[in-house]
Amino acid sequence: MFKNFFSDFKKKRNLAKLKDEKFRFLFEEDSSGEYVVFDTETTGLNPKKDEILSIGAVKIKDNKILTSQTFEIYLKNSAEISSKSIEIHHIRPCDLENAIDAKEGIERFLHFIGSRTLVGYYLEFDVAIVNKYIKKSLGIELPNEMIEVSEIYFDRMMPLIPQGNIDLRFDTILKKCRVPDMGAHNAVNDAIMTAMIYLKLTQENNNVKTSI
Amino acid sequence: MSILDQKQLIASIHPFGQLSSRELDVLMKKIDIAYYTKDTLLISKDLESIAFYIIIKGTVHEYIDEQLHNVYSHGDSFDADALIYGKTESRFVVDEDLICYEIKKEDFLDLMQNKEIQSYFLQDFISRHKHLKEFDAQSDFTPFLMARVSEMFLHKACIVDADVSIYEALQEQKKLQAKVIIVQKDESYCIVTDTDLREKVLLERLSIDGKISQIAKNEIITIQSNDFLFNALLIMTHKGIKRLIVTEDDKIVGVLEQLDLLSFFANHSHLVAVQIQKASSIEELQFVSEDIKNLIVTLRAKGVKARYITKLVSALNEKIYKKVFEMSVPKELQDKCSLLVMGSEGRAEQTIKTDQDNALIISDDVDEALFVAPMEQLNSYLLELGFPKCKGNVMVSNPFWRKTLHDFQLQIKEWLSSLDEKELQNLSIFLDAKSVAGEESYLTTLRNYLYENFAHREDVLAHLAKAVLYFETPLSLFSGFVLQKEHNNKLDLKKGGLFAIVHGVRVLALQYKIDETNTIERIKELNNRGVIDKNFAEELIESFDTIASIRLLALLEAKNLDEENYINPQKLSKNQRDLLKDSFKVVNKFKKFMSFHFHLNMVV
Repeated sequence: MFKNFFSDFKKKRNLAKLKDEKFRFLFEEDSSGEYVVFDTETTGLNPKKDEILSIGAVKIKDNKILTSQTFEIYLKNSAEISSKSIEIHHIRPCDLENAIDAKEGIERFLHFIGSRTLVGYYLEFDVAIVNKYIKKSLGIELPNEMIEVSEIYFDRMMPLIPQGNIDLRFDTILKKCRVPDMGAHNAVNDAIMTAMIYLKLTQENNNVKTSI
Repeated sequence: MSILDQKQLIASIHPFGQLSSRELDVLMKKIDIAYYTKDTLLISKDLESIAFYIIIKGTVHEYIDEQLHNVYSHGDSFDADALIYGKTESRFVVDEDLICYEIKKEDFLDLMQNKEIQSYFLQDFISRHKHLKEFDAQSDFTPFLMARVSEMFLHKACIVDADVSIYEALQEQKKLQAKVIIVQKDESYCIVTDTDLREKVLLERLSIDGKISQIAKNEIITIQSNDFLFNALLIMTHKGIKRLIVTEDDKIVGVLEQLDLLSFFANHSHLVAVQIQKASSIEELQFVSEDIKNLIVTLRAKGVKARYITKLVSALNEKIYKKVFEMSVPKELQDKCSLLVMGSEGRAEQTIKTDQDNALIISDDVDEALFVAPMEQLNSYLLELGFPKCKGNVMVSNPFWRKTLHDFQLQIKEWLSSLDEKELQNLSIFLDAKSVAGEESYLTTLRNYLYENFAHREDVLAHLAKAVLYFETPLSLFSGFVLQKEHNNKLDLKKGGLFAIVHGVRVLALQYKIDETNTIERIKELNNRGVIDKNFAEELIESFDTIASIRLLALLEAKNLDEENYINPQKLSKNQRDLLKDSFKVVNKFKKFMSFHFHLNMVV
């Protein structure tokens, strides 16, 4: 009850800061019944300093991942991409030839997600880095509800491994949930795999336990 | 980038690879990924199919009349028929949590605008089978052409310095048994062939003490050892030369001769047959039988159908049998008996040497004892040639399988009244008998005796036929290999499929007095007599060929005889798996036919 009240309050305060009325839809009640799983590739792991290179997202409805409406963009960056980060995300400067302006890209992303609930793996980071952009341009933070898959996974595993020490690495969760590795780790593929994990963890009735 | 990954995945699934890149792009915009938990019913008679499914992970079982009909797993798709015809008799149920691509019904039907896709899905069983096989044959052909130069036998390279005399060079060549001399001048190499020696030395009366360099004019033509044989053949044909110098890291490692290359490509079965004919000792035969195995490998790689390979190999083995018979049986006794091969050899379906299954019919007017020593000799010769002993001791050294004509007739009488499993098995073996040496008419006599006695004995036939149902068709094992990694995930091709067809057809052949022993010939004959229709006959033949062909693969890879009938379905290509599944479906159909034909459900 208190939690609800608190989040409502936070949402209102957030809304009050909205600079551009065009984005009011982010605060409206979601009627699509869909979720959005998204993942970003960034120049580094510090949301304050680093920038987004690409965003990949897919919608989930019931038991389906709507790959037919896959969202994928590459963003133009202010600085040269460091060679160290290239090793991680495999996005070379030349891959960003089709990249669009960050402002336009983020706006497209907001239109894609609408007021749907967001799902992700270590979503906090992805949301924080998106917030950095929209705080500047729109004055707000993402108001969407959020679901963290590693948290669901943790809750599922907890009764099985009471001592704790649950391995929450992405690859481990992937393996334990028997989700196929789609190969290349890029924003869209990671989003699709995260979506599969989410479906696996929520759709089956505790079957994970038996399969783990 | 990532959409490309998904696209590649779809394109790797036959027949979607036939789509153009643009068509694929359009298709990608219509594909969703869905997740279904175990036991979800996807399609059934009352649950209309709404999408075409392509499995990313998990398994789906298809049931018809509550019987497991097919198993779909990674890379498989279903069910076009249900979408096209708008109804189905099957039930599709998720057996292991399913993650799959879904193409909505309307979108799938749109896809059918593409002729290739349409023809693939609209084809009936046989043509789809052939379509897949052709596709498979292409890929079969590839490894053969794509073998590397380094896999070939290379002749030693005789490299001499430009300053040595012709005489010294020739001595060096002789020492290394090389076909050509390679002359090194500083950093470059030239070649001296026999033709050069003939034309430049002998015809021009050049002194052999002169320097080799004066006759070495032609620069060598080289090929990298990791290049494809196919390219080697191309270069040779193109430049009209007989050999290539093979290099590795810019160093000469050997010489590839055209003759070796051609013999690698050529089917040299004819040569093998001549060699058998000419052999005068067991050692020589031994040498030849090694060749037979290489021949099988070559032919299979060329995409020759299993049934032709087995026929050829059986024919060659028959020649070996004949030769061994002549070596062990005294001349005066040779037409007083008939040497039979039985089992797979009798059916001419033998591949590499399976167990010896042989018997001897002896004329009623000679002393049986005269044959004891020669037959033991014959068995041991065959053993030396690599035909393993028969575990069931079905061999001429065993008195049971070495009888006079009269005694064999008594045996047939006994078979007629015996219900003993072992005896029925012996009868089955005998039904495939084929005379390979000696007097053939003894077998004809016995065969007719067999027909007379079994005529109108449907009860005995039914009992014999019952074995067809002994082994489950291993369709469910397919899911086994997905689910249970700790088990031995192999599939028994013989018990699972071949046995039912071979045995069923054999019993039908006995009933309809068909002299043929080869399964495919028997099926054709059964069709001629109207026992089975043409369509079913073709299905049976194609299925039999498919299973036999995959078994051949297993045989070639098997390290010992125990493994020979097993194949790990995971090691098969997707097409081969599809073919195998389709074939097992036909096996099931045949089992049903046999049950009905012999009223097997009433036989206890």
